[in-house]
Amino acid sequence: MSSSESPETSEKSQIDSGELRRWRIRQLDIPTQLLRLLVLITGLLIWQYELIFKGVPITVFGFEPLPEINSIFYAVPTDVWVYLADYYHELMFWKDLWVTLQEAIWGFVIGGSTGFIVGIVLGYFLRLQKIFGPFLVFANAVPKIAFAPILILWYGVDMGSKIALATIIVFFIVQMPTTAAVGLVDPDLNMLATTMGATKSQLFKKVVIPGIMPAVFGALRLAAIYAMLSVVFGEFIASKRGLGQRLLVSTNMFNMADAFALMLVLAIVALALNGVIGLAERRVLKWQTTRRGGQVISL
Amino acid sequence: MTTPSVELKNVSLIFGDGDPRNENVTAVDNTSLEIPTGQFVAIVGPSGCGKTTILNMLAGLIKPTLGSVKRNGQEVEGPSRDIGYMLARSALSPWRTAKQNVELGLEIRGMTKQERSKKSLELLSQLRLEGFADSYPSMLSQGMQQRVAIARTLAIDPDLWLLDEPFGALDAQTRLTVQSEFISLWESNPGKTVIFVTHDLEEAVLLADRVIVMTARPGKIKSDTTVPIPRPRIVDELKFDPVFTETEHKIWKELRDELV
Repeated sequence: MSSSESPETSEKSQIDSGELRRWRIRQLDIPTQLLRLLVLITGLLIWQYELIFKGVPITVFGFEPLPEINSIFYAVPTDVWVYLADYYHELMFWKDLWVTLQEAIWGFVIGGSTGFIVGIVLGYFLRLQKIFGPFLVFANAVPKIAFAPILILWYGVDMGSKIALATIIVFFIVQMPTTAAVGLVDPDLNMLATTMGATKSQLFKKVVIPGIMPAVFGALRLAAIYAMLSVVFGEFIASKRGLGQRLLVSTNMFNMADAFALMLVLAIVALALNGVIGLAERRVLKWQTTRRGGQVISL
Repeated sequence: MTTPSVELKNVSLIFGDGDPRNENVTAVDNTSLEIPTGQFVAIVGPSGCGKTTILNMLAGLIKPTLGSVKRNGQEVEGPSRDIGYMLARSALSPWRTAKQNVELGLEIRGMTKQERSKKSLELLSQLRLEGFADSYPSMLSQGMQQRVAIARTLAIDPDLWLLDEPFGALDAQTRLTVQSEFISLWESNPGKTVIFVTHDLEEAVLLADRVIVMTARPGKIKSDTTVPIPRPRIVDELKFDPVFTETEHKIWKELRDELV
């Protein structure tokens, strides 16, 4: 048969070590890394030297997108860094972080698992999908952030109300794509497994579940970010503890360095949650990783 | 007389969408066909002539509107585990390695891991894919993917092989290789009945013992020709055999009128 079909087996045995080293260096893609660093440094310098906050005289249809901002309403990186470095020693910061993290994780876990289960059930049982579909579409159409004040009345100012808000938001983010993915499972795979005599539960385990995993993981990554977003918003409305509550207090007191530092922390926490899911995805979707040449595309 | 492997008696299949304003489509019209065990039959015909529908009825995926479909003397009631079905699209599970794909049918019937592994590695090596057992389908060429699909079909050791244009998506060169690998696999497995649907007459005559020509919709059997070429067959040499050309020409005259 044509040799072009088996390049891997023939070449694997005779790898040149110099070639391998050069390949690894190429994989690092140093020019891109350097340019990234340059972009980061430029950004930090623009921020540090207040090149934009001092106002840029551009007018777009009579509107000034970059007005001069009063220096008490922002902080520069060096000031922000002072606060960031200080958090390490501050017990209250860790307590607030722990509260926000717990709220986000519980909301993610409860909303994600119910969204996954309901998503599968509706995808699988078309009659149920037809019956409940319009109600879910309607419920999803409500701007869910609008539930926040009501949830605080129902569940109190502590963690419960934030967990409830995150649960509702995460539920829809996971349920909708899961239901859609069940309907999009390759009909050829289904048919072939059926001709092989697969039972309903075998079809489910061997065709449906693995088939929807890429969509589910995509949704979960998005859901992790939105779980953080919803708990921070919930804390803005009313709360005793949490990073969002602290951020609101800092902003109200014009302590901008603290506020900026907290935003940075929130972003890092959201990315960390996203990363944990990315690791799970890498394991479960190994076949996709290989297809993309060893890269898992992250959000 | 022994029971035929496959027996269609006055089978009609009419598709309707339930809307009384729409006309129903007759895919297969009053067709009878008997195939003895161990025969390799090719069905050719224009697209939409009901070739695939016949396979689907035999696989138990759809029921005939009229008439009876029997396998080994038994009415077909639903999918059965001794049928191997193969499509033009390899339809491999992208999340399974080549080896795991071959093992799908074996897992379904609850074979132990060791037995599965033995069987799948054996088949992969017969199809010259030993080095690719742990590769995912996306890393394999089309020809290799289709060979994995052949291995998956044969792993469950079916006694009826239903093949729906299995090599239709391959380029001419790869197709020739896969065809000859396939035919030698079949020739070394006596007693397996094959129904091979194709639009490629040359392929039908090269591989089959018997070629059935179907008419354009509604599908009916137009002619039924025995291919007088002995086995084992060397596919890439056969094309230049006068008996081959003669048979192909004879069937072509039947088929030509159906292709518009």
